[in-house]
Amino acid sequence: MASRRRLTTLWESVSVLVGWSRRVRVTGWMYWWSRRWSCELCRSRKRLTRMVVIAMSDAVEDVEVGVEGMVGVYRHDVHKFRGRQHDSARGEFAGVAVNERVPLGADADASMLSRPRGNPEQSVDNHATPDRLSLVSGERAVDDPRLVANRRGDIEWLVTSSDPGVLHARWLTSEVAGAYNETVYYPYTSLQYHVLLAGALLDNYREGYDLEDLYLVATEPGEFRRDPVAAQSSDVVEVFRTVLWTPALALHVTGAPDGRPGVRLGERAVRSFGDVWARLPAYPFDVGGGRRWRVLDAQLRRIRAWSTALAYIRDFTAAYEPHDPPADARPSRGEGP
Amino acid sequence: MTHQRTRARRGVRAREHESSWATACTARRCEQGEHEQGGVVGVVVIQQVLFEVAAPYYGHPYFVTGHALFNAIARRADAAVRRELAVSHGVFVPKEFGEYPRGHSQSGYAGKLGGELPAVEAYEDLFVYRDPRQGWLQDGRPRDAHNTHDLQSHGGRLAFAPECFFGRPPETRNRKRSVSWYVHCYLHTGRGESDVLPVGESVLDGVRVGGARNYGFGELEVVDTQLVDLEELDYSRLEAGAASDEGRCQLELVSPYVLRSEFSGADEQSVPWWWKVDNDRVSGASAGGVLRRRETQLAVDGATHAVEVLDHGQIVGFDGGDVVGTAKNGVLRVGTHSKYGFGELRVRPPGGGRVPERGPAGERVNWRERRVDASGGEGL
Repeated sequence: MASRRRLTTLWESVSVLVGWSRRVRVTGWMYWWSRRWSCELCRSRKRLTRMVVIAMSDAVEDVEVGVEGMVGVYRHDVHKFRGRQHDSARGEFAGVAVNERVPLGADADASMLSRPRGNPEQSVDNHATPDRLSLVSGERAVDDPRLVANRRGDIEWLVTSSDPGVLHARWLTSEVAGAYNETVYYPYTSLQYHVLLAGALLDNYREGYDLEDLYLVATEPGEFRRDPVAAQSSDVVEVFRTVLWTPALALHVTGAPDGRPGVRLGERAVRSFGDVWARLPAYPFDVGGGRRWRVLDAQLRRIRAWSTALAYIRDFTAAYEPHDPPADARPSRGEGP
Repeated sequence: MTHQRTRARRGVRAREHESSWATACTARRCEQGEHEQGGVVGVVVIQQVLFEVAAPYYGHPYFVTGHALFNAIARRADAAVRRELAVSHGVFVPKEFGEYPRGHSQSGYAGKLGGELPAVEAYEDLFVYRDPRQGWLQDGRPRDAHNTHDLQSHGGRLAFAPECFFGRPPETRNRKRSVSWYVHCYLHTGRGESDVLPVGESVLDGVRVGGARNYGFGELEVVDTQLVDLEELDYSRLEAGAASDEGRCQLELVSPYVLRSEFSGADEQSVPWWWKVDNDRVSGASAGGVLRRRETQLAVDGATHAVEVLDHGQIVGFDGGDVVGTAKNGVLRVGTHSKYGFGELRVRPPGGGRVPERGPAGERVNWRERRVDASGGEGL
């Protein structure tokens, strides 16, 4: 909230309230409120109304202050590392502006890909923390005490660079970001893939694509190494638009598929991963080549939330390595067609 | 077994014409012309069966194939059943709280679904459990965790657990709750009049499917079964959709459609002419076409036969005439190996997509305008 720090007067705090509601129109209670305060404090209703209107327009203009290029999208959810709400988040972290609004509604669309509309409910009643739960293990996705010890340093590493390409590569290959969920209400979602999806959507929106023009593109991963430098030099990874890079496959959200196998996301941002995945014209792996591929495929068709599904691919790949089956594995019999 | 019942909704109808529809009338253009209108003259009754998964399952991950279920049932039944019975693929369903999906004849909160068969009054009711995404699961619970299988590794072999446990907060009475898995399939006969249906629960109960059956894996227990007469269902939504000018109906491949099978005597198929494949939705299609293909195996008497299929879960447009006839035939399945569950189709009216929340394209605000109106979405 870049605008909040500059506020000093009562009238400007009114503008903050208006900015929170994010609607530029004078509603009934605001009129009632302006009457009440004008009587008690300044005795000038006209002046107050004018100031409220000015402050409101100011708040709207300030919405995207500080978001330059693509950097802001990789810094917009730092508050979620601590499980804080956006409205109570700090505006600055490690010397850079964080938690700003993402332009063009990319953040809203990315969140709708993974979470239901409306008021959230606590879906897992014994787990209300920022730690992501893994669908593969059922436990915390990353349970490494070293992560907790160096949390601040890790988060700084994820957000402080001023080069958006570097930020994208770091988020794409990060272990730390995968340990946190998108919201404490839905702990199986992944903050890492939410941010990457928001970045991919924003980059496409800035080029003029609308959501229904975008494709989910699935490719082989190329030469994989969990390292941002390797990601930046990889032929497969497309800056900002690659949302998943694992040793098994890579997924991209792009308006320009360039002949790679892809399928459209659909007209609206909804939790539809299984549906979109099942309609790909070709898979990046051979499901006939190993039963673990088929298990992964079958599970992905059952998952609706996008960030949950992307995190599932990553967890499954790490746990069962379908791309690298054990040498003594023999084809199962009795599995049928 | 505390929850066993059979609801006989309709007896088997008398039939005049014998139709070997399920095996003979395939995706070739029929001599009579309208393939999709082809005669479902005799076969109208299906028996829905819901099994509870009683042991870890180490079989086909997408579904329990109709072939596996058929073989498990056939070895306990007489020759008439083996000859006439056709078995659908069995779709995995978790037992959880849910609400009836859009298009269902009932609406609103449904209590716990998955553990019993809801009454079937309309065509859409047949498919409540047939879609692996299980759209009826409630959002207030961890629906993706409920709907994905808990994996057990047995010496590196990944089996599906029969139930999944979720922890409860310490202040509650129980420390954990379980979500158990069920398998939904349906049986019907393919030829003329028969008294094969309903297949008795004593035959169905305790069948084993998948791998490692000798070690106790893949055991299924019957919990619910009911007969449904396809002729008595309400097809009004389909008819209204076909009559409207909103676009064409859509066909969803609920189970794979066989193109080529090495099993002796099987016909080779092409993509049916009454499917309208939408090229605009995808990019980078392979040489085989826009529809994704897959090779699978059919194991018969110890030998495996390669089967090339169009993978399930894909959606094509419907370019034929008789929507209701096609809908019935889709339930009874089309193409090669339809006796074993392949070729199941669902017809959806225009605008009734697989993800109902999507809605029509026109409702969405252009992103250039959203610059002013962008509502956050980051509020959590």
